[in-house]
Amino acid sequence: MLSEREVTSTLNMLRNEHLDVRTVTLGVSLFDCVSHDLQLFTDNVRAKIRRYAAQLVSVCDEVGDKYGIPVVNKRISVSPIAVVGAPFGPDGMVRVCRALDEAAKEAGVDFLGGFSALVEKGFAKGDRALIEALPEALASTDRICSSINVASSRSGINMDAVALMGRQILKVAEATRDRGGLGCAKLVVFANIPQDVPFMAGAYLGVGEPDVVINVGVSGPGVVKKAIDRALETGRNNRGQPMTLLDVAEVIKRTAYKVTRVGEMIGTEVAHRLGLPFGVADLSLAPTPAVGDSVGEIFQSVGLSSIGAPGTTAVLAMLNDAVKKGGAFASSSVGGLSGAFIPVSEDSSIEAAATSGLLSLEKLEAMTSVCSVGLDMIAIPGDTPASSISGIIADEMAIGMINHKTTAVRVIPVPGKGVGEEVSFGGLLGKAAIIPVPRGDASGFINLGGRIPAPIHSLKN
Amino acid sequence: MKKLSISFLGRDCPGAVSTVSQILGQSGCNIVEVTQTILAGEFAAIFIVQAPDTLEQEELRRLLLTGLEAAGQDLSVLVRPAVEGQWGTGLVCEPFVVTADGPDHTGQIAAMSRIFAQHSINIESLKAILGEGGPNHALFVFEVMVPEDVDLGRLRRELMVEGKKHDLRVSVQHRDIFEAVHRVASF
Repeated sequence: MLSEREVTSTLNMLRNEHLDVRTVTLGVSLFDCVSHDLQLFTDNVRAKIRRYAAQLVSVCDEVGDKYGIPVVNKRISVSPIAVVGAPFGPDGMVRVCRALDEAAKEAGVDFLGGFSALVEKGFAKGDRALIEALPEALASTDRICSSINVASSRSGINMDAVALMGRQILKVAEATRDRGGLGCAKLVVFANIPQDVPFMAGAYLGVGEPDVVINVGVSGPGVVKKAIDRALETGRNNRGQPMTLLDVAEVIKRTAYKVTRVGEMIGTEVAHRLGLPFGVADLSLAPTPAVGDSVGEIFQSVGLSSIGAPGTTAVLAMLNDAVKKGGAFASSSVGGLSGAFIPVSEDSSIEAAATSGLLSLEKLEAMTSVCSVGLDMIAIPGDTPASSISGIIADEMAIGMINHKTTAVRVIPVPGKGVGEEVSFGGLLGKAAIIPVPRGDASGFINLGGRIPAPIHSLKN
Repeated sequence: MKKLSISFLGRDCPGAVSTVSQILGQSGCNIVEVTQTILAGEFAAIFIVQAPDTLEQEELRRLLLTGLEAAGQDLSVLVRPAVEGQWGTGLVCEPFVVTADGPDHTGQIAAMSRIFAQHSINIESLKAILGEGGPNHALFVFEVMVPEDVDLGRLRRELMVEGKKHDLRVSVQHRDIFEAVHRVASF
């Protein structure tokens, strides 16, 4: 028999605290689809995705119904297209991207990730073709996400790729000018990209992953915030002593455990019903623009006037770490990014702090040294020089490389707009005011090109 | 030996279980299963016992009533033969938790349970939690066993419609989710 508290607290998490399974992501390896013939390749890709994804949406809905936990998004990740489509040039890559878009629409998923290249140590032919194809590919498709890994702790930073991505981000923005540069919201530059992340825009299926696999992304910033609020409201911990940050970290950890358990249960059942292996549960506090589903609001619960105030990085470090600890105890299959996201436009509280000037790009960069990803969904002026975007990427990649963590940059240079103006991407992508980028010129440094070598602690063997 | 089911109902106070179990022991009865609960100061218990074949039901009831009265315990007693087996044996069922909450009215439990009965769904536990979400707020928690041939979508729709008629917000969830979230279990 369930206790009263078990029932009411689960109901509250669902009804008032936005607990959901943010995404069930079907990973599909495309290595067995390869061909030098473009038509044959895209036919193979469409057929394989169709074969495994046909039941994905209906099964997710059935399982969500059974447990009363909505599976908000159903998505697909595929092998890096730069690898499996290596024989093709930029035009061929655009055609592949369109075929993937059609496959995503046919399957009824909202995003498909994996239009990706791994270039941390250098470019192969397919990598260059894919990166060159990005503006047209992302402008002419709706549901395709792209990720480019330009750095790793083992290999260092490919500064030629960093320079190239600075230019390509501007071109993607220009190609989607009519949508406020929306293409850049579907393009992320990574250091240490995980192979199994189910969240977009960084989802792709790594080369060491199974043929087909189900990965799950669970969210729940609202659940964590409410749990902290309840604990602090009582003012005392369960031993009757005054609450301290040690107790707050414990509350976050226990809440993360609960949320991860939900994700693992739903994910394993979806995988079982589809006859596929279960991969990972990724517990990431991924906000949405809805009030009460915000990572930024957690900072206020812990006593900061707003995210961005002094102390922000420390709170984020505690939050990110406690989430990982709770998740690791809840499931042996924790993977992906697992931690706290800080996407500016997708979080009403973070967006408000950025708009009011309380949160700058510099502070966001500091925060990325302790959060689970990086500079995310940040609108910057459309006339930002490519070398400045590359400089921002290089700084972020350096944080990831040295700290052995994933970092990423997803900035949107909004064409024709400047600091203070607003851009809206709609839906989960939200809206944001354009914030200034650091002044100064990075072009001399970026133009040197080459590679920043791997750090000394990469020599571990 | 024969199996008897003995139920007790009355005002709760310390010593009730002690008195009952002593009398049962003295009568040669072996307690094989027992459960008890307290609701608003009322004590209820069910004992399943193995009783000697020579002990008549009425005689056992009289012994219990006399002993309880002597101990100052105000409890009603019902003794009847225990039925072998239980509902659902051989049926494949899944455990679900149905919650319904809203302003408290008469007829709400009757309305919800009628739907369960129509689908041959057994209620294994029912709790009413009053006043938690506001002064006149009621939350009903039904733990039910749903036979596998029941159309879950249809059941959910019917419960929602019926709930709406009675100002109730209804949720239907597999029981596993509650356990997964709150309990740490070994394999």
